[in-house]
Amino acid sequence: MIGLDIHEPQSLEEAFALLGDDESTARPMGGGTALMLMMKARLFKPSALVSLAKADPRFHGIHLSSDGKAFTIGAMTTFAALEHHDAIAKHLPVITQTMVTLANPRVRNVATIGGNLAHADPHLDLPPVWLSLDSSIRTIGPAGERIVPLADFFAGYYETNLLPGELIMQVHVPVSPGWRRRYVKITTRSAHDWPAVGIALGLQMQAELCTDVRIVLSAATDRPLRLEAAESILRGQKLTPGRIADAAQATGDIHIESDSRGSADYKAHLLKVHLARALQDLSE
Amino acid sequence: MSNQRIVNFTLNGEKSTAIVRGGETLVELLQNKFDLKGARESCGQGLCGCCTVLVNGSAVAGCLMLAWFVDGADVQTIEGLANGNNLDPVQEAFIEAGAFQCGFCTSGFILMTKKLLSEHPDPSDEEIRHYLIGNLCRCSAYPEIIEAVHLAAAKMRVLARA
Amino acid sequence: MATITAGSQIGRSIPRLESRDKVTGRAEYTHHLKLPGMLYGKIFRSTMPHAKIRKVDTSAAAALPGVYRVVTIDDIRTVIPHPYYGPAFHDQPVLADGKVRFAGEPVAVVLASDPAVAEEALGLIEAEYEELPAVYDELEAASSPHLVHDELKPAATFPDLQHLKGRRGTNIALDYKMRRGNVDAAFASADHVFEHEFRTQQVMHVPMEPFVTVADVANGQATLHTASQGPSFVRIEIARLLGWPENRVRVKVPHLGGGFGGKLYIKLEALVTSLSLLVARPVKISLTMEEQFFMVTRHPCTFRIKSAVTKAGKITARKCEVWWNGGAYADIGPRVTQKAGFTSAGPYDIENVWIDSFAVYTNRPPCGALRGFGAPQTAWAYECHMDMMARELDLDPVAFRRMNMLRNGRPQAGGTVMEDADIEASMDLALERIGWNAPLERVSGNIRRGRGIAIGFKGITAPTTSVAIVNVYADGSCVLYISTVDMGQGSDTVMAQIVGEVLNLDPEKIKVIHPDTDVTPYDMGTLGSRSTYHMGTAVRLAAEDAKNKIEELARDLDMPPGSNLPVAELLRKKYGMQAGNIIGTGSFMPDYQKPDPETGQTRKATPFWGVGASSAEVEIDMETGEFKVTKLVNIADVGVPINPKLVEAQLSGAGIMQYGFTTIENMIFRDGQLTNGSLADYKIPSLLDMPKVFINEATRSNQKDGPFGAKGAGESTTIALSPAIGNAIADAIGVHIPDLPVTPEAVYRAIQSLKNAGGH
Ligand SMILES: Cc1cc2nc3c(=O)[nH]c(=O)nc-3n(C[C@H](O)[C@H](O)[C@H](O)COP(=O)(O)OP(=O)(O)OC[C@H]3O[C@@H](n4cnc5c(N)ncnc54)[C@H](O)[C@@H]3O)c2cc1C
Ligand code: FES
Ligand code: FES
Repeated sequence: MIGLDIHEPQSLEEAFALLGDDESTARPMGGGTALMLMMKARLFKPSALVSLAKADPRFHGIHLSSDGKAFTIGAMTTFAALEHHDAIAKHLPVITQTMVTLANPRVRNVATIGGNLAHADPHLDLPPVWLSLDSSIRTIGPAGERIVPLADFFAGYYETNLLPGELIMQVHVPVSPGWRRRYVKITTRSAHDWPAVGIALGLQMQAELCTDVRIVLSAATDRPLRLEAAESILRGQKLTPGRIADAAQATGDIHIESDSRGSADYKAHLLKVHLARALQDLSE
Repeated sequence: MSNQRIVNFTLNGEKSTAIVRGGETLVELLQNKFDLKGARESCGQGLCGCCTVLVNGSAVAGCLMLAWFVDGADVQTIEGLANGNNLDPVQEAFIEAGAFQCGFCTSGFILMTKKLLSEHPDPSDEEIRHYLIGNLCRCSAYPEIIEAVHLAAAKMRVLARA
Repeated sequence: MATITAGSQIGRSIPRLESRDKVTGRAEYTHHLKLPGMLYGKIFRSTMPHAKIRKVDTSAAAALPGVYRVVTIDDIRTVIPHPYYGPAFHDQPVLADGKVRFAGEPVAVVLASDPAVAEEALGLIEAEYEELPAVYDELEAASSPHLVHDELKPAATFPDLQHLKGRRGTNIALDYKMRRGNVDAAFASADHVFEHEFRTQQVMHVPMEPFVTVADVANGQATLHTASQGPSFVRIEIARLLGWPENRVRVKVPHLGGGFGGKLYIKLEALVTSLSLLVARPVKISLTMEEQFFMVTRHPCTFRIKSAVTKAGKITARKCEVWWNGGAYADIGPRVTQKAGFTSAGPYDIENVWIDSFAVYTNRPPCGALRGFGAPQTAWAYECHMDMMARELDLDPVAFRRMNMLRNGRPQAGGTVMEDADIEASMDLALERIGWNAPLERVSGNIRRGRGIAIGFKGITAPTTSVAIVNVYADGSCVLYISTVDMGQGSDTVMAQIVGEVLNLDPEKIKVIHPDTDVTPYDMGTLGSRSTYHMGTAVRLAAEDAKNKIEELARDLDMPPGSNLPVAELLRKKYGMQAGNIIGTGSFMPDYQKPDPETGQTRKATPFWGVGASSAEVEIDMETGEFKVTKLVNIADVGVPINPKLVEAQLSGAGIMQYGFTTIENMIFRDGQLTNGSLADYKIPSLLDMPKVFINEATRSNQKDGPFGAKGAGESTTIALSPAIGNAIADAIGVHIPDLPVTPEAVYRAIQSLKNAGGH
């Protein structure tokens, strides 16, 4: 690559100025892993990369609120930092579990959770998990800060609802005790492939009853998607095999694309079977 | 100028300086300016591990890391692993287990094994398989690699006791 | 130094000679080579699968600061009037010439001192095309009016292809025939006739060191440093292309980062040599991983197989029709078509055999040699076919195979008598290791389990030659000169063991010189499991020649017989100081008889037989089709293993590679465009994909005319592996899957089709 500028702004103002306006092809950079892949494949050629490493301390760190009810995680947090964080392992074990099959240790040492969200590739493993945890994003831009629920964040294949010049600063993740959670990564070729289907699940059980539930589908659709129809079949109900089967069936009208990992039909089928199995497992 | 800079860093224990360009990767820097051959680009996508380098003690993909950011860092490559003519126990284990054929992937496997054993001194097969998931060997010396990791772990335990 | 006694080097698992270089990152690969004043070339590739080139506008690229030159075929033609190359056919232009034949074909090259500049300039080249109708499928292409090449242009190097010269109006590059007995009569009178069709997919070698060549052509000398498996062939073909004598072309190969058949014959060398000749500077082209998918791949194949079987289960006739999708350029495809066609009826003793095997041009990336040379594709068909018939006839698949098996002393379908081929012993060991007769819990919940067995064989490319030189220095130390390329299979080590065995030397102290055609003598190529047998024999002969000369020297010096004075002392006595050498040479070409072109019959088709047997145990999720190969066993007959550990590594490495071709790997095309041409999307096996129980073993056998009883080992476990898995899956789910790769979706669809048909 020639003619690529690199900046490490020491303040947000400087970062915003470097990132420029709507027309600018300068890009913010987290770990740079996704950016490098796209530049190498000549998918796009930014004029400059603006590293967020030194722009603001709020982009860093993993903090559990004093009441223990939520995590605030800086966008520049690497996957490895998340993976090896004791409080995360304790309160959000599903995150730690997801890390084991996410990319590889070298990528995890470098890639950031902010870059991962902004990249908005529907095959990524963490976004559906954040979504199933009811997370939200704190953004910051020239026009100020916003809190965006993750459910409103993704706009499509590689697209988000970030405003021009806006950055992801933090991810807020509520800690909700008593939930059982799981991320199911289904690959159809090698074990180190992208998922054909990803399912992030959360289940709140009181005795036999499912009091609340989150089901998020990824990889098979153009963005991570809450499967609300299926959720509503389960919410407030006993999770009998029949009810679980009904919920799995309720995924039938989701638009799924065929690709090299499987036909649309087959992926829809995998979703049904694995969703039902995971629900069954979690409810026991 | 922001498309070129001087980077000062430590390379295998030696203070080093180079002029790098904005788009230059770490593996390009090592090969072109320092004639180090152990980290090499194969997939170019962070998947195969042939370009593995340790930066501040963490393994990274040299093909995806911009050389720009090694300023101030401690960089270690396979060339810095042996102590003179004395091989590292991981290197010895790879020879004894025959854990390579063509050898193109070997530096990456050895450096990753180093890191694996620092985190899991006595890894299970499962831990080995997961930790080395980002290292591909087309000669498929995989069974021998698993053997080498166990052997290296045993060697390092003996050394630790001594 | 410990005294080395005769016989002590054979069967010794010494570590690879180059081990230290490889674990310290110091091993030399062409990948790293830089020459002073060198230019880097980047390739501009076609976006069209089949099109006339209207115009290539290189002006903007040429104007980019730092670009040295942009080159098209017109420029090449100013220095090489007929810039076409290829091992079997001279059909491949150095750069696209007037038309493009596959999406990804090289059209122009940018040269610059800085590879990043060359890369940048690629984006500034514009090509205009006039699209032509394209053909992608081998069956369709065979009868299509849309031609990939107007005329067939066989190379002079293969005399048996000369009858094809000038043939027009067809995409069939070669038709191979074998005829034995009367199949029609046998089918007419058969108790049962079975006919099945199988397909295999296009896959790629994926060497971790991508293709790379450096050429330095100046002052009437050409020096190539190249990642090649066949330096001698490269020299001959480059000399032909340049119209120069062979002694002005030098080809050097340092360590090679994987080959698997891909880096054989001539590849990037033709282009890079032409470029260097044109600009009179050293030029280097290194492909990226993505570009490798456009260099060479493995043939997809359609195989129609038909067998006549008696009530008792004796196969009386077999007809094979094999269509090889060779892509846009023949490469060595015609040889694959012949050699794999030759064994496509399987290792069975069948009275009446009819084989047609066709090499077909299509508008896909070219296909060539890949570990197994077509044998794995054919075995997929004939071994699945065996199980399908056994199922229909309600025969035990093992007994059915035993009843029909080709045994030593019997002629193979082409007339060559089988010798030293341990097919049955290999099968028996595969059965034993998998626990064939042990109870299997066939059903648990959604899971069904099954076991499968398969056997296979292959002939070895013939006739081919290897030459070796052994040089004993004045101090008694020893150097071996060979052009065999050690790409990780361990040939340097094994050859040193052979020298050590003959000359009573420690092989770890012998130096093996890497191929350099100015120094190392001719070898046909490091391919087709031939090195241990061919080069191994040449090396043994060279070492024996040296030994004879040492004995002669002792006699000349009037040493009493049996005095066993060390060479160093003999030479010192002769020359009065530490001086001189003992040079031994050896050359080997095995016996061969050209097959009859109409019937394929010959007394001697192959110097030896590659034999493999595999067995597998699988677990299928009946709801999703997801499966696990829980146990995989690969057995090969390698004769006497010279270095058992290296042999085992070959068996298991080949096995895992073939496992990828069976279950994971697939080049997927849409309208002639490859859609998954990178490792992000074309997956190869990783540590996590390997079957948990994975056994690789050689049978105890002896290749009587091989060096110390040895024969090749690099391909044998690729042959039977896929059908063993396919048969295990069928055993579990009750139906066969005819196409590779076997994916979870394919298994799921098979289960569904069986359900819909009212099966269990
Ligand atoms: C070999 C390999 C394997 C992988 N396997 C997996 C896998 O199995 N599962 C998985 O989920 N992912 C996988 N990934 C993808 C990986 O998760 C992403 O590459 C990574 O998350 C991107 O993070 P980054 O910090 O490197 O992003 P960058 O490359 O820095 O940035 C990505 C995008 O986000 C923008 N951006 C970065 N930070 C911010 C911010 N704070 N605010 C706004 N925009 C920002 C950038 O401009 C860019 O558009 C893999 C990647 C590689 C290289
Ligand atoms: S070359 Fe960097 S990971 Fe493959
Ligand atoms: S040893 Fe050849 S790729 Fe690993």
